[in-house]
Amino acid sequence: MLSLVLILFCSLFFTGILIRTKSIASGRMGPGILQPIRDVVRLFKKGSVYSETTSIIFRIAPSVYFASVIMACLVIPFGADKGIVSFNGDFVFFAYILALGKFFTIISAMDTGSSFEGMGASREALYSMFAEPAFFILIGSFALLTGKTSFYEIFSSLQLGTSITYMLGGLAAAVLVMIAMIENSRMPVDDPKTHLELTMIHEVMVLDNSGFDLGLILTAGYIKFAMYGAIISGFFISGLSLPLSIALFLFIQFLFAIIAGVIESFMARFRMNHNPQFILALSSVSFLIFLGVLLVLEKFV
Amino acid sequence: MTNVLLIIFIISLFYVSIANRLITYVRVLALQGFILFGVTFMQLKDIETWNLVLIMLETIVFKAIAVPMFLGYLIKRNKITRVAEPYLSNFMSLIIVTAIVVITVILANSIKDPLLDKIFFIVSLSTLFTGLYFIASRKKIITHVMGYLIIENGVFVLSLAAGNEMPNLVNLGIMLDVFASVLILGIFFNKIGDVFKDADVDRLTDMKDY
Repeated sequence: MLSLVLILFCSLFFTGILIRTKSIASGRMGPGILQPIRDVVRLFKKGSVYSETTSIIFRIAPSVYFASVIMACLVIPFGADKGIVSFNGDFVFFAYILALGKFFTIISAMDTGSSFEGMGASREALYSMFAEPAFFILIGSFALLTGKTSFYEIFSSLQLGTSITYMLGGLAAAVLVMIAMIENSRMPVDDPKTHLELTMIHEVMVLDNSGFDLGLILTAGYIKFAMYGAIISGFFISGLSLPLSIALFLFIQFLFAIIAGVIESFMARFRMNHNPQFILALSSVSFLIFLGVLLVLEKFV
Repeated sequence: MTNVLLIIFIISLFYVSIANRLITYVRVLALQGFILFGVTFMQLKDIETWNLVLIMLETIVFKAIAVPMFLGYLIKRNKITRVAEPYLSNFMSLIIVTAIVVITVILANSIKDPLLDKIFFIVSLSTLFTGLYFIASRKKIITHVMGYLIIENGVFVLSLAAGNEMPNLVNLGIMLDVFASVLILGIFFNKIGDVFKDADVDRLTDMKDY
């Protein structure tokens, strides 16, 4: 319960802090921290416009996407506090409920019949496909390390003690930051500020959504960022007292937003054909984490 | 802590395999020099101080500073194109390097010898094969030199595992190797730069006795 409240709370500020970091890095004042939320509230007050060529899929897709992100948030624990849903193997549920939401945005983009949106959908599917092994090898390694298979048990029995486990935690955090940037269609892979349809990935898929639907999609994006931040902080807050862990959680979310902003400010977007190799490199690094786990467990005989 | 440095060493190999520019290769070589310096400092505890100082000077001066600077100078002086120009795409390179590491891990796991230091063995063997792969898959002569230096680093890691028992011989040999290879190939390369305008391996077949 606590984790859901904290994730929703952080998602209010996350994108605002990110945009403010980018503004400061480029020497501007920038909009206020709450500006993204104000935009979303403005969108929620509006009605939606639907194209005549679209079907029911296009109408339900934003709601399904939003619901899938909320469902994914439910399994994330907070320190000693279980998530609302918690069972063995829930990290598989986490990954595939997000994939379900993504699938619906993809087919709704195909549904509009726009040539640009089909292209964006294809790219989104490709990059998500490459990011999936990285996530599974990563969480699978930690499941192997702790011998448990749910997020709650993995995080609560994770003991960071020696230098190599700190190394694994740091590497895992780095990989998860990059996965979050890919899943949220942020800078090294996709540029959220581009105005050319040919270079867009996520933005081009939601070109036809308007009003309330667009608001849902944007809100889901904000929550998704805070959700990945919650997973990252899960590696570090196990075993701390409640006030301390809440403080550390907020600090890690804040740091994550600033790191994402700095990455966006100082990295150029990759060329489209360089993206797969970059995302696959994350899988290779996760594989090294797996190697490190084998080393810790002394499975090398 | 040694394990941490060695894992970073393998990540640097992945980074090289998707790098586009030559200057990135040079930087990664310098980084590997610093990593080896750290590993040497932590691993070699049982040898006499002067010998340790010599080995560490070798790693920091040659591997981390002198050789990368010399390579950078060569690239500038010969006006080599700044892109690496591999035969295979970077995507394939990454898959191949990852496969090399996987195979090495499986190989090391199948050796039932309690005296073998597994992580050193894995890192050195995968570095060796990766270096060979870089030599085979890159077009330019300068990238061949870099692949050779990566192989040297791999051999150095392996010798560090046995460094406490036989420190002198191995490291002097490696120092000579690094020195000779870069110097000879550098001179060789400068000569070639005067004759041919671009430095492709394919052009070497044009050099014949008449």
